[in-house]
Amino acid sequence: MKRYSLVVLVLSLASAFVFFLGRAMLELGPTAIDLRAPVAAHLAESGVTHPVTAVLLNYRGYDTLLEIAVLLLALLAILAVVGEAPASPTRAAHPVLQALGRLAVPLMVVVAVYLLWAGAFRPGGAFQAGAVLAAAAVLLHLVGLLPGWSKPRLGLRFGLAAGFALFLAVAAGLLTQGSLLQYPPAAAGVLILLIESGLTVSLALILAGLFLLLSREAEA
Amino acid sequence: MLEPLFDPLVWLILLPLAWATLAFVLGPGRGAWPAIAGLATQCWLAIELAQKVGAGGVTNHVVGGWGAPLGIDLAVDGLSAAMLLLTQAVALPLAIYARSYFKLNDPAGTWFWPLMGFLIAGLNALFVSADLFNLYVTLELVGLAAVGLVAAGGGAQQVAAALRYLFATLVGSGAYLLGVALIYGAYGTVSISTLLPLVTNDAPRLVWIAGGLMVSGLMLKTALFPFHFWLPPAHGGAPAPVSALLSALVVKASFYLILRLWLGPLQTVLPAFAWLLAMLGAAAIFWGSWQAIRAVKLKRLIAYSTVAQLGYLFLIFPMLAAHGALEAGVMQIFAHGLAKAGMFAAAGVLIKATGQDTVAGLAGSVERLPVTMFAFGLAGMTLMGLPPSSGFLAKWLIIEVALAQGHWIIAMVVLAGGLLAAVYVLRVLRQAFLLTPASATLTPVPRMLEWSAFALAAASVLLGLRGVELMRLLGAMA
Repeated sequence: MKRYSLVVLVLSLASAFVFFLGRAMLELGPTAIDLRAPVAAHLAESGVTHPVTAVLLNYRGYDTLLEIAVLLLALLAILAVVGEAPASPTRAAHPVLQALGRLAVPLMVVVAVYLLWAGAFRPGGAFQAGAVLAAAAVLLHLVGLLPGWSKPRLGLRFGLAAGFALFLAVAAGLLTQGSLLQYPPAAAGVLILLIESGLTVSLALILAGLFLLLSREAEA
Repeated sequence: MLEPLFDPLVWLILLPLAWATLAFVLGPGRGAWPAIAGLATQCWLAIELAQKVGAGGVTNHVVGGWGAPLGIDLAVDGLSAAMLLLTQAVALPLAIYARSYFKLNDPAGTWFWPLMGFLIAGLNALFVSADLFNLYVTLELVGLAAVGLVAAGGGAQQVAAALRYLFATLVGSGAYLLGVALIYGAYGTVSISTLLPLVTNDAPRLVWIAGGLMVSGLMLKTALFPFHFWLPPAHGGAPAPVSALLSALVVKASFYLILRLWLGPLQTVLPAFAWLLAMLGAAAIFWGSWQAIRAVKLKRLIAYSTVAQLGYLFLIFPMLAAHGALEAGVMQIFAHGLAKAGMFAAAGVLIKATGQDTVAGLAGSVERLPVTMFAFGLAGMTLMGLPPSSGFLAKWLIIEVALAQGHWIIAMVVLAGGLLAAVYVLRVLRQAFLLTPASATLTPVPRMLEWSAFALAAASVLLGLRGVELMRLLGAMA
């Protein structure tokens, strides 16, 4: 019964908080600063035509650089915790599932490439493309066509870090333009596509790794 | 055109990111030398930057060339420069220490170097950021790296401590992020310099809620009493170099952020909470010291001492408007950072040598490990606040400001805290001076471990003699 009253207490506190938060939010007028205008005004210099990509890779590209570091770090933390237990043997799934997997994965790769390319002018980009690729890897693993990871070897470690390293190198190289990540407008489009391509591969590996490194735990 | 290329401010972030990535690619257990070389360069960069700030005031870097509020600005004033100096000054000896501490194939050291690199990069990025959302990203970087370091290669107990730490740090950053989102909703910007003139006394109620959320989240991350529950198991259970990094630097990062908000964009909102924070700080001093006095295990004792020492930092808030309070707080950050890093490092040597980690098992250590016990004693001196240590200077400054303001109660708390610290430090030293039991055997430890611990502890005492330079640096505020 004590547990029950605790739940009631927490729920009532949380709803009171939501109530006051909601009331305070309704009091707000228009904001002092509206960033939509400057985002649109500088779109031509940003190298892309989609405002979200412009914010992510250009205006606030530094945030994205650090976010990629956070993702790499998440994988690193998992590696540090799980150690080097051998991966469990893969179990082949039903042949129909395997056939479906073989059919779906090439399509997913095509979708990923499209998403990467589309990011410049419509919703899409490296995160989405990487997620689709990672999903393809997870699918292959689930039908028994791709083994889980025991520990990443040199090639894989290089692939995991390459996207971030490339981004970091471009950011540092652009210091010659006057500041960190200051793209020259003429080359911005190409550089952003270069960064996004690298990120797609590394993000796919990182996201897939979050699954493939831990899959052995579930089966052990 | 070449000046921005060598801007020390940017390289303090890029360099640790680069050596962390390199260490990751090099593989398990590798990367000590790139780390040490990188940190040595970073020390030099931090000194360069401090000189630049000391001479010319605030230094800016406009990332992407856009400028706030569209882009992200980085800014370094005296406070940031001081924190950067401390970070590099603590990290370099600890890196040298960790190289000897983690033997080959030690599971706890497998990914130590990349994790440490990302941790230092996150800290440096946090200290130079002038953008509330970017600060959140750096908080995540620091928090995740710290959790990874605590969990690495440990048993079930250590992973449990790390998980608890993860939840605490995630709730903390989550509350901070919600606060940032509310502020963005109210003003349409997250740039500190743009917000500064916008947040006025008649700020909407939402901003008060945001301020409360941000400060509570950061209090949780700073382990202010009664939010300290996660700290002793996490700091006490981790390998010694990790405990040292966490106690000396990571908890200070979230405190720095509270200070930054207090002095910056939320200066009209936050002072309403000043006495609450000071009261919790006082409670932390008493509770932390009491638990340290009772602790059975050496590292648990030191971890509770961190809880107590963090309490002093929060005593300055009611007096922050007065001249000298900020200086006192930063001096305490330095004193505790250097002393606690030295003390955890010394504890690591004692644990390695005696093969156990209770206070009772330290009998005879003075005879066998004089350098390490000397280091422990010097660090203890700083924690107690004996002259001429920097701890003495910090406590002296707090008392001076408190008395000038008529807050004699704060002065009393500081004095009592010093006495309590003496009890738990002397408890360890007394045990160490006892005769060695005949049965005890000591494992030999690398000299480098003993001397890097000694260097940190000695620095914490010697800084007391050079406090004036630090004060002058803090004068260069925005």
